[in-house]
Amino acid sequence: MAGLYIHIPFCRKKCRYCDFVSFADSSREDLYYLALISEMRLYAPLMKDKRFDTVFIGGGTPTVLSEGKLGHLLSELKNRFDIAPDAEITCEANPESASEEKLRELIEAGVNRLSIGLQSASDALLRRLGRVHTKADFMKAVNTARKVGFTNINADVMHALPGQKREDYMDTLRLLVSLGIPHISSYSLILEEGTPLFDDVNAGRETLPDPDDAADMQDDGIAFLEENGFARYEISNFAKPGFECRHNLNYWDNGEYLGLGLNSHSALRLKGDWTRFNNTENLSEYINEVGEGKLPVRNTQKIEKQEEMFETVMLGLRKINGISRSEFQARFNVDPVTEYAPAIAELELDGMIEVTEESLRLNRRGLDFQNEALLKFMDQ
Amino acid sequence: MAFPKELIRNFSIIAHIDHGKSTLADRLMQLTQTVADRDMEEQLLDSMDIERERGITIKSTAVRMFYTARDGKTYMLNLIDTPGHVDFTYEVSRALAACEGAVLVVDATQGIEAQTLANVYLALDNELEIIPVINKIDLVSADPDNAIREIEDIIGLPAEDAPRVSAKTGLNVEEVLECIVTDVPAPKGDPEAPLKALIFDSFYDNYKGALSYVRVMDGTVRPGDRIRFMHSGNEFDVTEVGVFDPGWLPVKELTAGEVGYISASIKSVAETKVGDTITLAGNPAKEPLHGYKQANPMVFCGIYPADGADYEALKEALDKLILNDASISYEPETSQALGYGFRCGFLGLLHMEIAEERLEREFDLDLVTTAPSVIYRVKMMDGSIRMIDNPSNLPSPMEIECMEEPMVMANIMTPPEFVGSIMELCQDKRGVFLDMTYLEENRVKLQYRMPLNEIIFDFFDGLKSRSRGYASFDYELGDYEQSDLVKLDFLLNGDMCDALSTIVHRDKAYAKGRAVAEKLQEVIPRQQFEIPIQAAIGGKIIARETVRAVRKDVLAKCYGGDITRKKKLLEKQKEGKKRMRQVGTVSVPSDAFMSVLRIN
Repeated sequence: MAGLYIHIPFCRKKCRYCDFVSFADSSREDLYYLALISEMRLYAPLMKDKRFDTVFIGGGTPTVLSEGKLGHLLSELKNRFDIAPDAEITCEANPESASEEKLRELIEAGVNRLSIGLQSASDALLRRLGRVHTKADFMKAVNTARKVGFTNINADVMHALPGQKREDYMDTLRLLVSLGIPHISSYSLILEEGTPLFDDVNAGRETLPDPDDAADMQDDGIAFLEENGFARYEISNFAKPGFECRHNLNYWDNGEYLGLGLNSHSALRLKGDWTRFNNTENLSEYINEVGEGKLPVRNTQKIEKQEEMFETVMLGLRKINGISRSEFQARFNVDPVTEYAPAIAELELDGMIEVTEESLRLNRRGLDFQNEALLKFMDQ
Repeated sequence: MAFPKELIRNFSIIAHIDHGKSTLADRLMQLTQTVADRDMEEQLLDSMDIERERGITIKSTAVRMFYTARDGKTYMLNLIDTPGHVDFTYEVSRALAACEGAVLVVDATQGIEAQTLANVYLALDNELEIIPVINKIDLVSADPDNAIREIEDIIGLPAEDAPRVSAKTGLNVEEVLECIVTDVPAPKGDPEAPLKALIFDSFYDNYKGALSYVRVMDGTVRPGDRIRFMHSGNEFDVTEVGVFDPGWLPVKELTAGEVGYISASIKSVAETKVGDTITLAGNPAKEPLHGYKQANPMVFCGIYPADGADYEALKEALDKLILNDASISYEPETSQALGYGFRCGFLGLLHMEIAEERLEREFDLDLVTTAPSVIYRVKMMDGSIRMIDNPSNLPSPMEIECMEEPMVMANIMTPPEFVGSIMELCQDKRGVFLDMTYLEENRVKLQYRMPLNEIIFDFFDGLKSRSRGYASFDYELGDYEQSDLVKLDFLLNGDMCDALSTIVHRDKAYAKGRAVAEKLQEVIPRQQFEIPIQAAIGGKIIARETVRAVRKDVLAKCYGGDITRKKKLLEKQKEGKKRMRQVGTVSVPSDAFMSVLRIN
């Protein structure tokens, strides 16, 4: 199982909380697009033995690219890489740029999963976050997506937003349930240094909700979605049966993935070594280096076995089903329950973990305190 | 050939912080070509980083200059610099005792400050000739006439002819040199008499060991002499004598009237105590110079490494620190909350802060410091007396007949408009009003008798904020006085945290208990269970706060394939944990112990 990620670092406007690599200035969109295609050509011979089961085009907002580009990128991709015939191919979109033409272009290029950034169904909160769409735009985008043929649709939403009430969040979830959206990612807002929102909160212009209220919000949301036919299959992800995101599951399984584009990250087994690297986050460097025929790679690190095991635990315990003992055994030649016996013993005492024949997984309390649990694995 | 004694002038400079002492010293050295202009590092005498940043002199130093005066003769001028803070009064008095004169620098824009006055009195006690100098006359706000009036009114010193200078621009600085030559008496003393050399400072050098900085009062000392420290009784063989040029310059001998250093392979500055008298073992003086005092630490606190693994590093750092500052005392102690550390004693609060800062900066340590404490005298039921410098060691109230605490005489100088507010502060700090005098129209001197334990916390900060920075104060240590003191303890989730215990007056215990509990509630992070914070006197709970249980601790954000960010966040959390101290079941961040010191 391997995934392929493509980063499109452009947005119509940067949201106030966003610290991902993306730009509201699209002047270098064409150059970037050409560089991406060159990067694919550079990687193609290196990846000729690798089959990719999932593709994810993320951002930024991929759908801000001018017409024809996404379609062309995907056909280049299919020409140069071994993409499985039944691959899950996701593209992110924001409601304001999800025009019928754009979505039709995606579906014709083979995209079979659409991930729409809603964040909240409250127009007041959307404005406060600096987002450029409304609830109505989202509903329209969902309609359009369905019209052109998308059935596998995800909506990203957030809780713990400044000014957000429990009811705001529940309204958002209710809307998604009523629209029949089969997959929901609900992240909590993380205030990141260097963002306008961070400055606003520090200066007292914005106030984050009380952590207890945020926890209530999240717990109520989980209960509501479960009542409505969703399964929480990862800490922040909910799906109707069969709609789990395979691309993200691969991350949590600590599987292989190749990242293309600005600041994208990769994890690959190279000559037997588990290896991580990422692309530069500087747009000029990226364009120039790829133009010179060089891989724009930074921070290549070989991950030792012990570390690879910890990564597998760190990511795997995000899933509700936890870590498969047999898969872990196959990969590392050791049962995780043996390897991490002291940490597991402590966590059992704390009432956080469950060990079954097949798996090692955190229970509800363990999921709430996942960091604490991971520190035990880390310290051991 | 010894330099003719009648051409030697030994002097120091007295000034308030910021009134331009170091700048004036620099100009004097430049004018006498003691240092070439291009080598001139700004404010050469203050060589420690912290001194420079704070603009104060912690250790005294000396420098020798040659000046050809208008009378055509060349004079040797020895400038002995003095530390500039109330914690170091004794060191100042010994440096002044090494001189015959003192230059009193008064800022023409500010006038005389309380601390300057204290040093002027020390100089007068030592019978020094005082030369007033009005500085900063280049500033627009300068009012030299007022400064002169203050000197005449407050000190009673004629100042009409005082040089009006700008140390910054160099204006009229030569006049200061002329005054030193004409007004400061030449040193007396007999080069043939038995040696009496006054130690006014010491310095530890990695190669030479501890050097004694001395003023020779009588006699002569040469390399090869066997010397004796008259108070400690220790004897050493002199390997080198020299002068300050301003670096160390070895000379053949130091003789009566001269200032220089003696090197004798001494291992630490603790063996060459300021104020001690050096004589020759073979031909000793009958009695030492008077004025020697053992400098006793007055303020104590526990110092612990933030990371328990750094205990050895802290020990080494303290060992090195006292090589150069014998007035710090330390001994190992253990705290249930903080683990292994040291109980350290200091001359005063500033001394403590400087030492902590040096430990952190020069030795790259992260420290946890407990609340400072004074030494309490505890009269026990069985009639014995115990001196307690750590609240944790206070015996149970059942065994105590009564307790006494050290008192100080505080002198506060302030413009009259702040008197009311400062009196309130003093009252609040259990001060007993003694006297109020108008030194002049714009300056009032308040005298209070106050417990030392009240001024070691935030008295100085309070004074500054209530007087918009205009008030200054100093204190003299007084005697012990019986007082109704109690030990205030703090319990976290039912477990007592020894590092937070303090001794306070009963009347203030409730307010303090409440304030600290509130502060702890702010600084202790939420944990998986609810944490009651209680303040207690004896077994009685007087205040209670609660840290609510945390509900979630999980990264609920999508970083896509960027798992390094997740790992970094965990690493950070792990580091944060390392800086936590375990008090029973509760994790307390290291800085919580310090933040409770800063309570309004």
